[in-house]
Amino acid sequence: MKLYEKTAFELSQMLKNKKCSAVELLGDVNERINNVEDKVGAYVTLNESAKSQAEAVDKAIADGREIHPLAGIPIGIKDNISTKGLRTTCSSKMLENYVPPFNATVAQKVADAGMVITGKMNMDEFAMGSSTETSYMHLTHNPHDTDCVPGGSSGGSAAAVAAGEAIVTLGSDTGGSIRQPAALCGVVGLKPTYGSVSRYGLVAFASSLDQIGPMGKSVKDVAMMQSLISGHDAMDATSKDIAYPDLLANLTDSAKGLKIGVPKEYFGEGIDDEEKQSVYNAIKLLEANGASIKEISLPSTEYAINTYYIIASAEASSNLARFDGVKYGYRAKDYDGLTDMYEKTRSEGFGDEVKRRIMLGTFVLSSGFYDAYYKKAKLVQRKISQEFSEAFSECDIIATPTVPSRAFKIGENIGDPLKMYYSDVCTVTVNIAGLPAVSMPCGKSSYKNMPLGMQFIADKFKEQTLLNAANAYENLVGGFDVISKAL
Amino acid sequence: MSIDIKHIAKLSRLRIEDEKLEKFEKDMENIVAMVDKLPEISDELTLDASNPMKLREDKAVPNKFTRDELIANAPKVQAGCLVVPKTVE
Repeated sequence: MKLYEKTAFELSQMLKNKKCSAVELLGDVNERINNVEDKVGAYVTLNESAKSQAEAVDKAIADGREIHPLAGIPIGIKDNISTKGLRTTCSSKMLENYVPPFNATVAQKVADAGMVITGKMNMDEFAMGSSTETSYMHLTHNPHDTDCVPGGSSGGSAAAVAAGEAIVTLGSDTGGSIRQPAALCGVVGLKPTYGSVSRYGLVAFASSLDQIGPMGKSVKDVAMMQSLISGHDAMDATSKDIAYPDLLANLTDSAKGLKIGVPKEYFGEGIDDEEKQSVYNAIKLLEANGASIKEISLPSTEYAINTYYIIASAEASSNLARFDGVKYGYRAKDYDGLTDMYEKTRSEGFGDEVKRRIMLGTFVLSSGFYDAYYKKAKLVQRKISQEFSEAFSECDIIATPTVPSRAFKIGENIGDPLKMYYSDVCTVTVNIAGLPAVSMPCGKSSYKNMPLGMQFIADKFKEQTLLNAANAYENLVGGFDVISKAL
Repeated sequence: MSIDIKHIAKLSRLRIEDEKLEKFEKDMENIVAMVDKLPEISDELTLDASNPMKLREDKAVPNKFTRDELIANAPKVQAGCLVVPKTVE
């Protein structure tokens, strides 16, 4: 077995016991990148100083210094997370040449732990999309079938894990952008509770919904990563100042006594039969091993997509106002005065999907429409949150499909925004309510054995409960077979 | 509902090319028709008390950036200053 096929947890033990070095591990991942990246296209930028980071870890080990369990593990970082001295483009022409002068809090934590940053991962432009097709840079292909999308917006992050081009990655999730690509690429992806991971240095899309989270080959890997990146940060006003548990140390693997809620609204029309069936099979397996199942109802789910697009676009139209060609980023070549410079810069620098969202946000916030859209959406948001709260009084976790169907073909949905938006139908409620949720592989499609995904949702700050349940499932199926054999 | 894309674009400091106008208009009308479907909830908006925002203490701290680092990303710089079109006649 090649090193790139192993989990971060396994590699952490190997590094500690000197079964391999950080430089060897990076060399193995780099060789894999050389072999498959032209077929996958997961990266926007490779990090040229990765080798010196790996050498520093090997030196620390040789010197007998105490190292973090994740030291030496190669990690890819989504290209909307600021990395000092390493280009951060948001996959947009607007930031094509932007090199941050500072690290995002999560990037600093990753660096402080001695993780080796392999590079920056492709994404939908400004995280707006569900297929990574809106990237200004290039397409990313699903490693399990390169004719298909990897999902999005964190498509590069998910594809890299499935292709073995990074051991773990960071993504960001505003409406499903970690979980949906994790499901389509067959990896594990965690969207943490809103407020548990600092957003400082994450290029803002919809500030009240955005959350950074990890992707990896196993529940243990995302547990280790989440414990590294979570914690209070004074630089993010919405960061919650509470004690965060060591998720790996407290991880259990039994389904005994677990109360699983199954909301009927997530198994209705529009969700493929094979997707539903695979989740039902997983739930039955957990039930056979000591979990109890309860059918629940979350009636406002039908308004989730509408609510999401109003709130997210409203916030995006405000957040993206900063891209004006003055202090950083793209500026149009020729212009006649200030307004002309703004308009030309923004029209040339943003792609069509970003323009659509900015205009939708501007529309719903514009005079005469605010009450009809934004205010109403905020009220529905509260209702959705209340329904979840009530559900968690009678169950520990909620199980649903992550996506309506397996990965779709490149080009299949890109011309139809509504069809694309619908691929987030199972994931947006979690962001609306600020909850933690994890997506994990749960079976294969009849089409080319493409991965299918299951989502577990827990109450706020119950990441331990959430990952314990996911770990129980992972153990019952004997681990997830993540690395693509189709490349 | 018909949407005046040109007006919305102007408010957003964007311009839509003529050949794309029709597609943008149609897409936007479809999206607005979708988001239009929301239930009436007769209630007032209140702040979420369970997750109050916590602002930093308003205290001066040394800037961690140098001037050169900050202007390194600027599109146009002259004599250490950002260059923008004339704004005051």
